[in-house]
Amino acid sequence: MDRRDTIKNILLGSIGSSVLLESCVSSLDNKVLEKIWEYQYGRTPEEKERDDKFLNSSFFSESELKTIEKIANIVLPPNEFGDINDAGVVEMFEFIAKDWSTPAHNKYGENVLRRALIVFDELCIEKFDSKLLDCSESQIKVLFDEISYEDKSLKDQKESVKLFATYRGMIVTAYFTSEIGIKDLGYKGNTPNVWDGVPDEVLEQYKGIVSYDKEWIDKCVDQSKRGDIAEWDDKGNLIT
Amino acid sequence: MEIINNSPKYDVIVVGSGAGGGMATKILSDAGLKIALVEAGPYFDPANADQMTQLKWPWESPRRGSGTTRAFGDFHMSYGDWEVDGEPYTIEKDTSFRWWRSRMLGGRTNHWGRISLRFGPKDFKSKDYDGLGENWPISYEDIKPYYDKLDKLIGVFGTKENIFNEPDGFFLPPPKPRLHELFYIKGARKSGVTVIPSRLSILTKRINNTRGVCFYCGQCDRSCSAYADFSSSSCYVIPSLKGGTVDLFTDSMVVEVKTDKNGRATGVSYINKKNGREYSIKGKIVVLAASACSSARILLNSKSKAHPNGLGNSSNLIGKYLHDTTGTGRSIFIPELINRKTYNEDGVGGMHVYSPWWLDNKKLDFPRGYHIEIDRSFTMPQYGFGYNPNEFNRFFGLKVGGYGDKLRQDVKKYYGSTIGISGRGEAIPRKDNYCEIDPDTKDKWGIPVLKFRYKWSDHEIKQVKHMHDTFEELAYNMGGIALGNKPTKEQNYGISAPGEIIHEVGTTRMGDDPYKSVVNKYERLHDVDNVYVVDGGPFVSQADKNPTWTIMALSWRTSEHIIDQLKKQNI
Repeated sequence: MDRRDTIKNILLGSIGSSVLLESCVSSLDNKVLEKIWEYQYGRTPEEKERDDKFLNSSFFSESELKTIEKIANIVLPPNEFGDINDAGVVEMFEFIAKDWSTPAHNKYGENVLRRALIVFDELCIEKFDSKLLDCSESQIKVLFDEISYEDKSLKDQKESVKLFATYRGMIVTAYFTSEIGIKDLGYKGNTPNVWDGVPDEVLEQYKGIVSYDKEWIDKCVDQSKRGDIAEWDDKGNLIT
Repeated sequence: MEIINNSPKYDVIVVGSGAGGGMATKILSDAGLKIALVEAGPYFDPANADQMTQLKWPWESPRRGSGTTRAFGDFHMSYGDWEVDGEPYTIEKDTSFRWWRSRMLGGRTNHWGRISLRFGPKDFKSKDYDGLGENWPISYEDIKPYYDKLDKLIGVFGTKENIFNEPDGFFLPPPKPRLHELFYIKGARKSGVTVIPSRLSILTKRINNTRGVCFYCGQCDRSCSAYADFSSSSCYVIPSLKGGTVDLFTDSMVVEVKTDKNGRATGVSYINKKNGREYSIKGKIVVLAASACSSARILLNSKSKAHPNGLGNSSNLIGKYLHDTTGTGRSIFIPELINRKTYNEDGVGGMHVYSPWWLDNKKLDFPRGYHIEIDRSFTMPQYGFGYNPNEFNRFFGLKVGGYGDKLRQDVKKYYGSTIGISGRGEAIPRKDNYCEIDPDTKDKWGIPVLKFRYKWSDHEIKQVKHMHDTFEELAYNMGGIALGNKPTKEQNYGISAPGEIIHEVGTTRMGDDPYKSVVNKYERLHDVDNVYVVDGGPFVSQADKNPTWTIMALSWRTSEHIIDQLKKQNI
């Protein structure tokens, strides 16, 4: 569990029950929230100020956030790696809504993200006489089956189809850029290692399609000598 | 404005700490000269944990790395991009230019692609081959010794290939190709396109005891905390500061070069961005390395009785002949790469293989060549990943769209199955592509800004058309399919806007004739004997090679010339 999850769980009370923690949580104010909800990723002071401003303000209402969560859990249902909340999908929507709400972004939060919720609610009311949040999963799926595919006969897709595609794109991107999503995807990098070519079992799989040729590989780095300081002869031949 | 004058007199004032300025600072300070290094941005050290983005995960950013405040995404290591708050530029109607600025110690060397190619013999004398543009006043033989020294000092991997216009150097061994690069090699060979190991300034092998060796995270664009890639900050400036002869002025935006009544430089004035006040520094020699357009701006803003239209501008050529590399790209989908077994294929921060220019222009309808770069395919997700999760289903005649576990499976199925390739070509410098001072606009510091006027000609447009024809042939021979539609004639075949490739050069071009050039072959202004320009400004032509290695080789050569002149007491 990373620090953010730990903090979130402390806030939600799902771990830790010491008196100290309880007293902490009960006295939370924006300043404390600002302090604990701190993303550390090499910001300049100006960037940090911008992030903090958005992290400490709200765009969506509680029911809007719950609606996004409900949609996201149907677009990408929970599996053995976790669910939409574990992936921080709703938090990302909340942040992007503010981050992209400048005139240059044509008020993306208002005109796209909130607009989508209004359109989805209207369709649910039309079909099932209640807002999306009050519909059952199977009712919502009836709607999604209609709006999650393009109508090839139309040059310009319906607004609901376009807005669903935007939500789907953002949900998928939020999921696969989260810790659990990256595990699910199987991305293995972002960690110090020594690259010494495509693994043998993978080369085996592509036998007859592509392969290493000896002449090329002979020129490549001998990783057992990577720590030896480079020296050359006068003609530029490496001699170490 | 009151100018605060409280500094000692320096031997040399270097303006800008990127490739050219960092190089000059190192060589001049190693010779014991007293240097003032003036940088418009803040201090930056790739090893500083507070500034570091290397090895961060996308979820460590609340916007998952998207590009709201940094054009190439949250983790990219450039403070500033084509827009800098409070520092605008203007563009003449019906033309375009995008001006990248990195305001930080080390400048753009902190984020660049580390593609470290020497210009070849032909690149200095192109006019002899096609009658276009102008020859350089120097030849490959003049600069070769500096390329050699640079290879050994900084480290660049590559292989000896004996290709006439792609000179070999003192190379470290290259990394083995990645899987998708094997597909590229196959396709290139079938298409008759030369393909060789790439040449990047990344340490695949130890070069000294102060810099680390590459640990293959593939994130050179975030600047390496182990100093295993080349940045001017980590390799030149930070080590030079330890020598005790360099005073570094950060957040200091140079306004103009000051001159005496005879027109010789006496120093520079700058705005301290922390308090907005103007200061001055005195020096015997001024070396401008603020980037091609920023140095042109400083010179044009340095007006005096002796230099009424800007310092060193008696030829009226400062700002003229501005040119950038041409570029365009295409994505290729390789069906054989679907459902890949995942493993760590980050490799170095850039391509392991590339194609240098391989054709003879006599048989083509455009001048000058281009090289082909290959993007990585199996990369760490960032904002935007999976946005069109099953678009490739179209190719197989399957349903596009939907939701649920099927969608998740589609994302995983197609992960790592596309390869981005792009062309980077040489443009012909033209006098009517330029930057000049906009008399009506000032930046937030009160300094008059640049106005750009730039249009591509048929030469460049035909060249990128050829790139796209090549991409489609390559795609076919790789067993893949080029995605999207080939850009049309009306779209100028998808050529990048000028400035987008971030190789802009030529604004203070070099030559023997003071009427046809701004600096001499040692990068010294023709008009004044104690002002030099060591960034991309002096480039007579920007070959289809990335400019950094040549900027640094020239800066090294110029720095030795300065030391020599001081010894002879000529300055």
